[in-house]
Amino acid sequence: MSDPFSINGGSAVAMVGKDCIAIASDLRLGNQSLGVSNNFEKIFGFGDKCFLGLTGLATDVLTLKETFRFKTNLYKLREERSIEPETLANLVSSTLYERRFGPYFVSPIVAGLGHKDNKPFICGFDSIGCIDFAKDFIVSGTASDQLYGMCESLYEPDLEPEQLFETISQALLNAVDRDALSGWGAVVYIVTKDKVVKRVLKTRQD
Amino acid sequence: MDIILGIRVQDATIIATSKAATRGISILKDTDDKTRELNAHNLIAYTGEAGDTVQFAEYVQANIQLYSMRENDIELSPLATASFVRNQLATSIRSRKPYQVNCLIAGYDTKKDQPTLNWIDYLGTQVELPYGAHGYAGFYTTSLLDKHYRKDMVVDDGLKLLKLCLKELETRMPIDFKGVYVKVVDKDGIRSVELD
Amino acid sequence: MSRRYDSRTTIFSPEGRLYQVEYAQEAISMAGTAIGILSSEGVVLACEKKVTSKLLDNDGSAEKLYIINDNMICAVAGMTADASILVNNARINAQSYLKTYNEQIPCEILIKRVCDVKQGYTQHGGLRPFGVSFLYAGYDDRYQFQLFTSNPSGNYSGWKATSIGANNSAAQTLLKKDYKDDLTLKEACELAIKVLSKTMDASNINSEKLEFATLSLSKVEEGKVIHKIWNDTDVNALIQDSGVLNDKSTEDD
Repeated sequence: MSDPFSINGGSAVAMVGKDCIAIASDLRLGNQSLGVSNNFEKIFGFGDKCFLGLTGLATDVLTLKETFRFKTNLYKLREERSIEPETLANLVSSTLYERRFGPYFVSPIVAGLGHKDNKPFICGFDSIGCIDFAKDFIVSGTASDQLYGMCESLYEPDLEPEQLFETISQALLNAVDRDALSGWGAVVYIVTKDKVVKRVLKTRQD
Repeated sequence: MDIILGIRVQDATIIATSKAATRGISILKDTDDKTRELNAHNLIAYTGEAGDTVQFAEYVQANIQLYSMRENDIELSPLATASFVRNQLATSIRSRKPYQVNCLIAGYDTKKDQPTLNWIDYLGTQVELPYGAHGYAGFYTTSLLDKHYRKDMVVDDGLKLLKLCLKELETRMPIDFKGVYVKVVDKDGIRSVELD
Repeated sequence: MSRRYDSRTTIFSPEGRLYQVEYAQEAISMAGTAIGILSSEGVVLACEKKVTSKLLDNDGSAEKLYIINDNMICAVAGMTADASILVNNARINAQSYLKTYNEQIPCEILIKRVCDVKQGYTQHGGLRPFGVSFLYAGYDDRYQFQLFTSNPSGNYSGWKATSIGANNSAAQTLLKKDYKDDLTLKEACELAIKVLSKTMDASNINSEKLEFATLSLSKVEEGKVIHKIWNDTDVNALIQDSGVLNDKSTEDD
C-alpha cells in the first residue's frame, strides 16, 4: 500500500525497430486510487535523439528530470555536442547509485539513436542504477508485468517506424487497461535517423 | 479533515479553504485562514500537520518576498513560485524531519495573461491542474468538478461550481468545517470573496 | 615603499586604493579587444584573437567566446585560464536556477552572482583576484536584449555598446560616434568589424584574427534565443560585406 513505487502509478516502455526506436508512457498521475492529473508525461528528451522514461514516485520523477536536464545541459556546453544514449545510460546509473542507501524510487528507461551511426540503443535500470541492456524491448512502471506479456507476444525484430509505432502503442494501451494505476492517455515518441515524431494517444478515460 | 479546493477559470483562479482549525476531536477556531499571500499574484493554500503548515507557508512567503526585494520589485511567476515550493518540499521529504504540508498555489501570470493552479503534495509532487483538492475533499468534489467544469468558465461560473462542491461537502463530510474562505487571484491581484 | 600595500590583495593603500585589483585591470587592458553592441534585433560580440601561430593546433572551438546557457553568451578579456573557472561557475549557477525555478535565469541575477565571486577575491585575503573582464550578451523576458561588462573588482554595468581589453578607450570613442539606437543586427555586426579593424594593430583583418558571436530571437519559435558563434567563412563574408577591406586598400593606394 505504501510502496513508494506505486503511490502515483504510471508505466513506460521502449522498443527497438529497424534503424529506429520507440519510447512511450501513459499520462496518469494519481494519489493512491484517486486520479489527480491526466497530463503527466514521463518521457523526457535530452539531446536530439536521446530519451529518458521515468516511472515510479512522481516527486522523484520530477527531481530526476530536473537533475538530468542540469547535467546534460552542462555536458553539452563542455563537450560541444549532445549526449549519446550510452553515455546517458551511464550517467543515469551513476546518479542513481550515488543514492545507494536512500534511493530515488524510480525505474528509468533510456532509448535513443547514436548521433553519428544512428545505432538504436535501449536499456532499463533498477532504482539504484543497475543497467539492464536489451536488444528488443524494456518495460517499467506499475503495469510492467502486463507490459512484459504484451511485448513478448507482439514484438518482432526489425520493424519499420510505422509498424513499430503500432506495436508499442498496442502493447502499452492493452497493458495499462489491465492496471488501475496506469492509463488516462498515452504519449509515444518514434525516433528515426532524421526525425522525431511525438504522438499523443487517446485512450479509455477510466 | 481540512478542506482546500482550487478551480482555475478563464481569467482567474479560485481558492476555497475551510475555516475550522481542529485538534483531535475539538474545533479550536472557526476563523482560521489557511492561505498566505506569496506576492501580489501568488497565493498558497495549505493543509497538513499543525505547526508545519504555517511554518512552511511563511518560510516560502518570506523567501519569495526576499526575491522581489533583491530584484527591484520584480515578481516571481506562478511557475517559478510553484517550482520553488516543490523544490523545498522535495528536499524536505528526504530530511530528518520532513514538512508534512500539502498545498495549492493559485497564481496569475501577468506576462502571459494566464491564471494557473498548481497542486503540490508533501512529497514534492507537482502538477498544473484546471481544478484540484487535497485530502478527503478531493474524493467528494472531483467527480462533481469532472462533470461540471468547462474550459470557458469565468469567475462567476467558477463560484457557482464551487458552491455546488461546498454543498456536497456539507452533506457528506462527517464534521462541520465551519464554512470556507474564498479567494480569487486574477490580473488585479488577490481578493477575498463572500459567498452568498 | 609601494611593496607594502600591493603584496596583499585585501589591504588598502594610504590613498585608499587596492593595488592588486588595479594591476589585474591593467593586465586586462593589454589583452585582445572585445567589443559588444546592442541592437533591437539582438546583440553582437566580437573579439580579437592575439598571436595566432600556424603551428597552433586548435580544435576549431572559440577561444574567447563562451556559451553560458540558452539565453546568454560572453566574451572574455584577460587570463583565459581564470575565465574558464568563472564561466564554469556561471554555467552551474544558470543550471541550478533553472532547476529550482524551471525558468531561465535572468541575465542580471547571473552576472551579479559571478561578480559576487569576483568581489570575494578583493576582500578575503590570501589569493589574487581573477584577471578577467567579461562582456555578457543576454536575453530575458524582463529587459529583452542586454549587454553587460564586469571587471576584476566585481563591479558590473549595462551598456548599449562597449569594449574591454586593449585599446578599449579608442574603441569606445568610435562606438560613441557611430552608435545609433535603431541599429539592425546586421548593421551592428558591421559596426563591430569596422571598430575592430581600426583598433587592432594588424593591417588586414580576417577570420584568423577575429572571433564573432551573435544573439538573436528565433523567427520560428517565439521567445527562443539563437546564439551563434560564427565560423570562419561567415566571418570572412561579413568582413567582405562591411567594406573595411576596400577602405584599407584605397588608403594604401
